[in-house]
Amino acid sequence: PVTAGSVVVPYGHVIGNEKWRGSEVGQRLQGKVRLTFEDGLGLVDFHLSNRTCILLISEADLVAGDEFKRRLVRFRNASSLRGIVIVEKTQISDQYFLGVQKLVILELGMVLLPVGNQGEASQLIIQLVSFCVREQSRDRGTNPFLRKQCAQLVEPAVLQTVQQIPGIGKTKALLLVQQFGSIHRLCNASINELKHVVGQTVAQQIYTF
Amino acid sequence: PADPSPSLAQNSRVPADPSPSLCVLADTREISSGPEVISCLRAAHGLRVQVCSLGSSDYVVSNRLAVERLLQSELQSPGNRNKLSQRLRRLQGIFERICVIVETDRVRPGETSRFFQRTQYYDGVLSALVQAGIKILFSSCQEETAALLKDLALLEHRKGAAIQVPTEPEGHRRDILNFYLSIPNLSYGAALNLCHSFGSITAVANSSVPELAEGARLSRPQAEELHRFLRHHFDPQLLPQPPPAK
Repeated sequence: PVTAGSVVVPYGHVIGNEKWRGSEVGQRLQGKVRLTFEDGLGLVDFHLSNRTCILLISEADLVAGDEFKRRLVRFRNASSLRGIVIVEKTQISDQYFLGVQKLVILELGMVLLPVGNQGEASQLIIQLVSFCVREQSRDRGTNPFLRKQCAQLVEPAVLQTVQQIPGIGKTKALLLVQQFGSIHRLCNASINELKHVVGQTVAQQIYTF
Repeated sequence: PADPSPSLAQNSRVPADPSPSLCVLADTREISSGPEVISCLRAAHGLRVQVCSLGSSDYVVSNRLAVERLLQSELQSPGNRNKLSQRLRRLQGIFERICVIVETDRVRPGETSRFFQRTQYYDGVLSALVQAGIKILFSSCQEETAALLKDLALLEHRKGAAIQVPTEPEGHRRDILNFYLSIPNLSYGAALNLCHSFGSITAVANSSVPELAEGARLSRPQAEELHRFLRHHFDPQLLPQPPPAK
């Protein structure tokens, strides 16, 4: 029964667990995403892609006790998929939320997202699906929070750093880096070499720093 | 390899005290925006909170984890989308791990509890954060945020990433810290570690990548970046403005 293995999800599709057929979430997702129901998904409620799946915890699960915790732990142990836990956080289940959050995020290292009801859950799933699709299509640039590798000029930063040495302002910093080329060389410069670029006093200051 | 002499304070404190005072760095602007978080961390959880101008994130919990505290209303509207994504992208350059704590807005006295209207944009932001591998925690008030920060700090401590160097350098060390802080993409924690692990800046400049990674508690790519920066050959032609002709 502990099947949490990977399922092949066709591009842009969502595979839902048979038990959600006819439910509010299922109905709301129909038409918005290409949803098919399958039997025997085991612990998982929705597969968004070959790597990502959703476990839905309802208000009733939370109130009923620790069964859902066992389910999460079993999933974590059995599967290497990225599991996103969606939990129904209502006025009734609110009191359990902190405990669940601690378990899911801090102990199991999974993702947890609270929703107010099944309608909100379906909205959230739609957004998640659209990001999964973008990820698969290698269109990663559209995610505003992913860091793009951009080559930044280091020169101004080197100059800034050299200016942190006491007694060194903009002009002397420029002279120093032009003469020595890098911070590494500057650090290994002898006091005599420094004296040629800046005065005796400042050379001493740099050297002791 | 030569162990870059960890400070004595670290060695003597950790084994002696079963629950060493965990240290959290807080940004100065959190004094005004999250005063209860800081006082809760200090009073209720007994953490050492060092307020300093981090500039990057709201809190630094360990050598590799930065925490950003956001209000739910900030995530509700696309108004500050650019600012937020810029901040988080910058953090990704500096820290290995990033966590966002989404805090429910405070209800002002006299105001009836505002109905939280979940927007599509909000769901989109959450999905983007998940996809970017940023950890998200939810909190309903500043006290809860403090408790979450403590849990994160404890967790990072268990994983051996806690900040374990003195956080208040004095005098000459202060100058050296400022020097390290001006290095791009180097976190406050890493700068502190450099201060305490290496005797001088020259020692840092002459270190190899593994030595830097060990001494500053940096990941391999970050240590490589630092190493490159220190040995970068300066080319005045590449300055944004031509050097002033004086």
